[in-house]
Amino acid sequence: METPVRTGIYFCNCGTNISEKIDCAEVRRLVENMPGFAYFKSQDFLCSETGATAMETDIRENRPDRVVVAACSVRDHEETFRAVLGRAGLNPYLMQMVNIREHIAWVTEDKRRATGKAAGYIRAAMARVALHEPLEKEMIDICPDVLVIGAGPAGLKAALTLAEAGRKVCLVEKGPVLGGMPVKYEEVFPRMECGPCLLEPVLGEALHGPQAGNLEILTLAEVTEVIGFYGNFTATIRQEPRYISPELCIACAECIAPCPVAAENPFNFGLNRKKAVDFPFLGALPNLPFIDPHSCLRTTRNEECHLCRDACPVEGAVNLGDAPKVVSRQVGAIVAATGAEAYDCAKLPNLGYGRLKDVYTSLEFERILAASGPTAGALVKADGQPPRRIAIIHCVGSLDPNHVPYCSGVCCENAFKFNSLIAHKVPGAEVTHFFKEIAVAGKEESALLEKARSRNSTRMIRFDDISQLTVSADGDGVLAVTRERVNGKPKQAEFDMIVLCPALVPSKGTGAVAQLLELDTDEHGFLEELHGRMDSARSKVRGIYLAGTCQGPMDIQKAVNQGLAASGYVLSGLVPGRQLAIEPVTAAVDARRCSGCRTCISVCPYKAITFDTAADAAAVNRVLCLGCGTCVAACPNAAIKGNHFTNEEIYAEIEQVLS
Amino acid sequence: MSTQTAALDRVEGAGAGFEPRIVGFLCNWCSYAGADKAGTSQLKYPPNVSVVRVMCTGRIDPQFVLKAFEQGADGVIILGCHPGDCHYKEQNYRAIQRHRILLRLLCQLGIEVERCRLDFVSAAEGEAFARIMAEMTEAIKKLGPLNRAAG
Repeated sequence: METPVRTGIYFCNCGTNISEKIDCAEVRRLVENMPGFAYFKSQDFLCSETGATAMETDIRENRPDRVVVAACSVRDHEETFRAVLGRAGLNPYLMQMVNIREHIAWVTEDKRRATGKAAGYIRAAMARVALHEPLEKEMIDICPDVLVIGAGPAGLKAALTLAEAGRKVCLVEKGPVLGGMPVKYEEVFPRMECGPCLLEPVLGEALHGPQAGNLEILTLAEVTEVIGFYGNFTATIRQEPRYISPELCIACAECIAPCPVAAENPFNFGLNRKKAVDFPFLGALPNLPFIDPHSCLRTTRNEECHLCRDACPVEGAVNLGDAPKVVSRQVGAIVAATGAEAYDCAKLPNLGYGRLKDVYTSLEFERILAASGPTAGALVKADGQPPRRIAIIHCVGSLDPNHVPYCSGVCCENAFKFNSLIAHKVPGAEVTHFFKEIAVAGKEESALLEKARSRNSTRMIRFDDISQLTVSADGDGVLAVTRERVNGKPKQAEFDMIVLCPALVPSKGTGAVAQLLELDTDEHGFLEELHGRMDSARSKVRGIYLAGTCQGPMDIQKAVNQGLAASGYVLSGLVPGRQLAIEPVTAAVDARRCSGCRTCISVCPYKAITFDTAADAAAVNRVLCLGCGTCVAACPNAAIKGNHFTNEEIYAEIEQVLS
Repeated sequence: MSTQTAALDRVEGAGAGFEPRIVGFLCNWCSYAGADKAGTSQLKYPPNVSVVRVMCTGRIDPQFVLKAFEQGADGVIILGCHPGDCHYKEQNYRAIQRHRILLRLLCQLGIEVERCRLDFVSAAEGEAFARIMAEMTEAIKKLGPLNRAAG
């Protein structure tokens, strides 16, 4: 056997908490014949300042190679005693702590057996600690800048907060306009504020505020590749051409009228038509038009049209030669705020959506109500007449095992908000709510339901299952909702307009970003949080944070708060001038032993292991590894070492713990 | 299970004073904290289980369990976070998978499956921890010492 290391043992009496149940002298007798035994010292309160200082002096004087501390829970004081070792000039990881208080003294009746068990624990710790290796925290340089993906309320708030703190932020938005879903809303529950107005202060600050210089906003842009890890990501972003220069355009709108195209307006869900060059909507920010390549004659028919450029009073503001740009940005953290979208109502064909006139989704209905919408805010049917009888069908696709099983939690508030808007636009119109469940909680939100109910023109009808409802139309454009009933004949009611309130589901962009960033998604396709309650703005991948409806349905308030929470993590985790300390209790691959089976990669929950083709072996990223050790146990070739929990250390502990 | 008959035979041989030796593999975050909770609640339980702490039950190589039996353990208990509560997301499910396979191997080695229990204790469940310690000790007492000649 090799020359054993010299191990010093510190036994804490914890006043009498430990010494009352464990015979210190007897423990000493039972462990002093262990190889490597150097000395055994007891203290009344080892964790106290007096105790810790005495221990530090003692280590300096006696120079042990290893230390065993027999005291309380590792969870209470391992860091305390590691720090003592550090101060005494010994590597903090050359210590093993055993819990003889919570795990023995306080729970064992028989003093003799408690004493024997404590001795076994100390012997096991001695055997184990002899094999410990000195470990160092690795310090790495970080980039404090941030990439935010998605410019809805959550992404905007995160980006603005970070920019205001002096961070350089790159905000990437797929669409031509900022603001996400709420910019489509005429009024937002619960206080009936106009959607774009609600966002205006945030957008104004982001675009023109004192810290706007810290914020790079890329619209019509998508992240195409991300490499690297926490503190050091490199993102590649592709920006589609806008054909209108943000620097030169003065937003005079002269270019719009001459455009010969009249295409479906995607912002209004095709409810009206727009030119190929236009503002996304009136009041859109950034305040400049863009040319939609899906409708412009230059791209759709390859025609040499340049009427817009001819009309533009500013030389170069219309740039028909604009081309896609690919840019690369260095960032330390990423906030994913890619949003949600409405469930496709056409998946419930019994409701007639897409087939029958005047059957709309709640989002389309928002546009019909909106002053900037296709009817300039007039609530009218397709024939231009105001609807007198409106049915609002809740829970479309929600709470339904055939569609999505959850309640989106925001559609009811929105639906009852419509009551007020309808009453304002078409006084006296009757509104009938068909619902499976009603969910309106909150100090302001529940009043929406009460207010809707209090109107004489409101009716509430509950259904068991949405398949019981059938929407049909007669030749005169009158709609009917037929409701089958378990007991009794089907009931039918006539309406002029039907509004469907679909569930919120992850947006297509959310799925794409999940793939790109290797983020886990939940059973519904939403991005999964590190912990749904305690860490709901963090993903499982270090340095990637989540905000808004990409995590699950939520209202604007919560989405904005998630954006703030995500920026809080970035601000506290990545501090300019401060290095990132990497804990050394991680896994490490011995490339020579690795057979390349990649089992470890499949079991790692943090995407910390990749396959290094050059070395023909798996490699652990120490920044991402959190040291659970699952890969160590999974490796069929014992090629992975779990630092501080090596096989040899654990075997040594097992050998002695029963002694 | 065929090994049960053999086990019953051995109970005859187990003396009344038999105190089983059991190794308990505890994850740092839930079950070790659950044991701490039992301690701070001063709940008394038999001292037969000796604890080996790992960060996560996902770290537990089935060979650790075999090593414990080889070193004289009459039983082994693995305690982790409840399914869905793992500090490392889902690694306790790996432990469950490995435990299932391990039980089949133990059968082949003639070690009763009851000698290797897997269970879950949260950081709040001090009482459950103490109860499981007592149950495990009682179960192994009934089985008697591990007949190493058969293994």
